[in-house]
Amino acid sequence: MQNFIDAYSWVNLRFLLEGLWVTIYVSAISVVLSFIIGSILGLIRYVKIKYLSMIVGFIIDLIRNLPLLLIIFFMYFGLPSTFGIRLNTVTAAIVALTVFESAMLAEIIRSGIQSIGVGQMEAARSNGLTYLQAMWYIILPQAFRNMVPPIVSQFVSLVKDSSLATIILLPELMYHSQIIYGQNTNYMIPMFVALAFLYFVICFLLSRLSKRLARRLH
Amino acid sequence: MSMIEFHDVNKYYGKFKALKNINLTIERGEVVTIIGPSGSGKSTLLRTINGLELISSGQLLVDNHDLADPKTDMNRIRKNVGMVFQHFNLYANKTILQNITLGPEKVLKVPHVKAAEDAERLLGLVGLLDQAHKLPSMLSGGQKQRIAIARALAMHPKAILFDEPTSALDPEVIGDVLDVMKKVAEQGMTMIVVTHEMGFAKEVGNRLLFMADGEIREDSNDPREFFRAPQDERAQEFLGKILHVD
Repeated sequence: MQNFIDAYSWVNLRFLLEGLWVTIYVSAISVVLSFIIGSILGLIRYVKIKYLSMIVGFIIDLIRNLPLLLIIFFMYFGLPSTFGIRLNTVTAAIVALTVFESAMLAEIIRSGIQSIGVGQMEAARSNGLTYLQAMWYIILPQAFRNMVPPIVSQFVSLVKDSSLATIILLPELMYHSQIIYGQNTNYMIPMFVALAFLYFVICFLLSRLSKRLARRLH
Repeated sequence: MSMIEFHDVNKYYGKFKALKNINLTIERGEVVTIIGPSGSGKSTLLRTINGLELISSGQLLVDNHDLADPKTDMNRIRKNVGMVFQHFNLYANKTILQNITLGPEKVLKVPHVKAAEDAERLLGLVGLLDQAHKLPSMLSGGQKQRIAIARALAMHPKAILFDEPTSALDPEVIGDVLDVMKKVAEQGMTMIVVTHEMGFAKEVGNRLLFMADGEIREDSNDPREFFRAPQDERAQEFLGKILHVD
């Protein structure tokens, strides 16, 4: 018990919250960027533009089948040695998460659009709407509603996966907790408990928020 | 000027010939029913008329526009040719009223208030005015199909295509849909109806096509006479089978 009281000292908690802030900051930027890029890639795969869709499909498949950790290593260690591009830890983490999550989201978005039966498009076109009008008024709103749950769980994964960036010493929540219990191994369990609590709260709030969003859409 | 003209139209799916040498002229105001065994090309023929299927060779004129001509604006054709589907295909994300007003508002640029007034008139026509603010998922099949007809009418088209409009319906609601179709026919609308409803073909249609193996085997201007004494051998066989079931 004393371990817990000592571990949760004001200084340590402040240090953890600083880590939490980096986790949130890196995740939030990656969420926004990967949503934009994933939507574009997903649409390119859906509309089947000659060659371009094939290339995009190959890249998406490649990235989806690599471990995120490897992508993080590549952005931090690989880019400087192969292309001479040196990213700081925050940028490298954001780039790696964005690349990985964009590929995941692209597939969610493509399959979400494909899940809407062809009958809806045929009806809209027969009604005189152009392809773009049919997409905008009929297909995408229905597809988006179906996509909200998988997109949210992908974002939840992203927040948790950001802890992998501890490996390139990104000063996020996981890394900061390691520093604390590195100084006193008695703090290890209290830190794990704190980590579990903080990740849970963030991810739970995120999925709650999106459930409300989904209900609004219905 | 004829509404629809097929000249030597063929349609292939790979090696399979779905439509063989179709020659057909449909005049304004005709109510044409198309019957025949499944796989005979009835639906394919219908779907070429508004460009949901493209023809492989020949010439197809709709409202005097050549559909094979790349300069033809398909959206202009579709504005003038409505379609009613077997599985209704109402817009799942729109209310009943919005289903009807979307086309007029976005395609014909009718102001919202006017489009809504017209939609209410049509909802009255199909007997579903009280359903205006529900979503399609809350309606029964027969109600959905009546809304689909109202949606097609809202564009004030020159012709409406019906692709087996009653085939997915419970027997007891088929009559409601057929009644609405009859009303539309009585208003002088050009209608092309792929159907298994022989009663409708006999009573309401003023022309009947029998199709088999991608060909029009019989083209009758007197549907009653066709049912009494079909000329084509395949038509005799077909009628023999379905009348036997009756």
